[in-house]
Amino acid sequence: MDQGLVTVIGMSIAYAASFLGMALAWYGWKKRSGKEEG
Amino acid sequence: MIQFSTLDWFWAGSFLLLMVGGAFFFYRLARRSESDFFLAGRRLPWWLPASSVFSTHTATDTPMWVTGVIYAHGYRGLWYTFFTAWTAIGSFVSARIFRRSLAYSQAEWQVMRFGGMGAELLRGWMAGWQVFMNMFILGWVGMAMGKVGALVFGWPVWVGLVFPTLITAAYTLVAGYWGVVMGDFLQGIVAIFAILIVSLVGIAAVGGPAELSGRLVEMGEGWRMNAFAFTGLFTGDFPAAWWLTMLVIAVVGGFGMGTSIDWYPEAQRIQSAGSVRDAAYGIWAGGAITLIRNGFWAASILAFFVLAPGIADVADYELGWFRLGFELLPTGLIGVFFAAILAIHLSTISSHLNLGALYFTRDLFQRYLRPDASEETLVQMGRLVTAVLLLGSFFYGMMMQEITQWLIFALWLMMAGIWLPNILQVVWWRFNAWGYLSAWMANLGVAWLVVWILPAFGAFPPLPDYLQFWLLMALGALVFFPTTLLTKPEEMDHLIRYYLQTRPLGWWGPVHREAVRRGLIVEGASAGVSGGIGGTAFSAKGLVPKRPFIKRRWTAAEAEEWTREDWIVIALSPVVMAAFMIGVAALLLFQPFGLSLTVAAVLGTGLIYWIIDPKLRAVSADYEQRQAAYLEDLERGVRWEKDAVGTGGSGQNTHEDAGRGAPEADNRGGR
Repeated sequence: MDQGLVTVIGMSIAYAASFLGMALAWYGWKKRSGKEEG
Repeated sequence: MIQFSTLDWFWAGSFLLLMVGGAFFFYRLARRSESDFFLAGRRLPWWLPASSVFSTHTATDTPMWVTGVIYAHGYRGLWYTFFTAWTAIGSFVSARIFRRSLAYSQAEWQVMRFGGMGAELLRGWMAGWQVFMNMFILGWVGMAMGKVGALVFGWPVWVGLVFPTLITAAYTLVAGYWGVVMGDFLQGIVAIFAILIVSLVGIAAVGGPAELSGRLVEMGEGWRMNAFAFTGLFTGDFPAAWWLTMLVIAVVGGFGMGTSIDWYPEAQRIQSAGSVRDAAYGIWAGGAITLIRNGFWAASILAFFVLAPGIADVADYELGWFRLGFELLPTGLIGVFFAAILAIHLSTISSHLNLGALYFTRDLFQRYLRPDASEETLVQMGRLVTAVLLLGSFFYGMMMQEITQWLIFALWLMMAGIWLPNILQVVWWRFNAWGYLSAWMANLGVAWLVVWILPAFGAFPPLPDYLQFWLLMALGALVFFPTTLLTKPEEMDHLIRYYLQTRPLGWWGPVHREAVRRGLIVEGASAGVSGGIGGTAFSAKGLVPKRPFIKRRWTAAEAEEWTREDWIVIALSPVVMAAFMIGVAALLLFQPFGLSLTVAAVLGTGLIYWIIDPKLRAVSADYEQRQAAYLEDLERGVRWEKDAVGTGGSGQNTHEDAGRGAPEADNRGGR
């Protein structure tokens, strides 16, 4: 497989975990904001 | 396969018992609180974080890749290992700032530095990244141990991957960071001993330093003893432009946080240190010992090259250092050598298990899922995540023989796009969460474009890695600078709180002036004494005594300022570290300048200490005194082993309770 493609695929796998963490932060932030408004 | 005698097994078993038993010994301390489980209670003297930095930087795969670059490039390959030199400036800049923040992790620091939703998204982003990275590193290092097991005993690779890691997990689960750091200390001693012995035995096997040098010259390979044997400015396999790029990444990166993948474990060591001074010395000494280690390794690998020249397959010559140890050491010492390999493996595995658990427990679980979780629940969650990371690393290790290559490249690319933002977030008040987040996002898209899409379609030639670095950085800047400037700065209240607590270096003028205007700090607390790089020789109207060129008596307020002394040390420190690495490598070949360089590095270390120690003592004494009451309050509130404290801590208290009265950190508990 092309080395450049291999590289960016590997990088994207690592990024997927970051997106999951950020989604969790978004969920926590919205939940907290909702509580404060309520 | 290597034949082990009874004596070898005895030594290997004894050292293993000592290293693991020593770590288990501290399990009661880890039970006290989250702070004990993840930061050893923030009370460690500098030499414990230092040994932990060295041990964590020395993994089973480290001798392989160091051997790889030295075998291929000679002493100039030492510069591949010089990324550790971020500790040269980092010890006196970013470590000092980070230690004062009291953040458990780099992800937690993000919500101190930035505010609002952007900061929260960054924290989640970074925590997710670090949980993954620690599992990846565990699999990567575990696989290296699997290969060593196959070389030494003919074991299937999975045996070396699984069993040593299970041993490590046992004490990491029980003793937390206390077990990690105490284990690292014992393992570091064993590792240093083995590295010294194998290096000297390897050189002796060739006939000594003079014979080694002579043989290299005879073979027409004399250039291998020259760390500066460039092949041109931009041409050949070792262009000066690559070297300069590496220097900039490593040395200038010390002003930032996260500019090296090693920053994340070292952030835990910084925070576990007993004071700002302990944190600075711990990181500096750990980095310096690591670079000296590289000098020893390099000399022995040149010896291996003379003994076994012309090996073409990387997978074969990467095992050179292990072969020197197992093939040249006498009976008995082979067991010690194997114990040392276990030691370097255990120390890295334990650190990353604990660190990955910290990021999940503290930055994801507690922050976003169960903010009201008791300390007991958090420690139990820490143990559960440690176990999950362990299992994940086995899975990863078994499937990553090819993925490793992907991710090593990925790490390089990752650093390219966020290297500058990692520095800006520390030194520039106006840089905000959206700018930093956009840098991470842009890096993914730009990397796809530069590294694959454009070259694949012939629109762009494949570039050498150092040019890719600069291009990715420049393209990323086209995104994060406009994003920063087009979005609002962080709230001034938030910035002032952060500024007062950490006193960062760099462009913080508006925040400083606002803090002065509000009467939170006194302008010119060190008037007439702070100077700058140029410095002022006399204070106003001669009413204050003349400032010496190097000031060695500091009040706490004076020491808070960044002064001439800091800048001298910042300039001197990378030079000293480079001199140690190159000097030791040259000294081991009896090259004339080796002794001079090594002596100069030792004297330089003394000079750094003489210049900066009075200031660090003043900063530490004052800050730790104010922090102590706050931390005591915090720890009492969250300690859940009632009889150990006698306060009747309910175990249900949150940091919000304990955060009251925190010096300069009135929202500390709310993080």
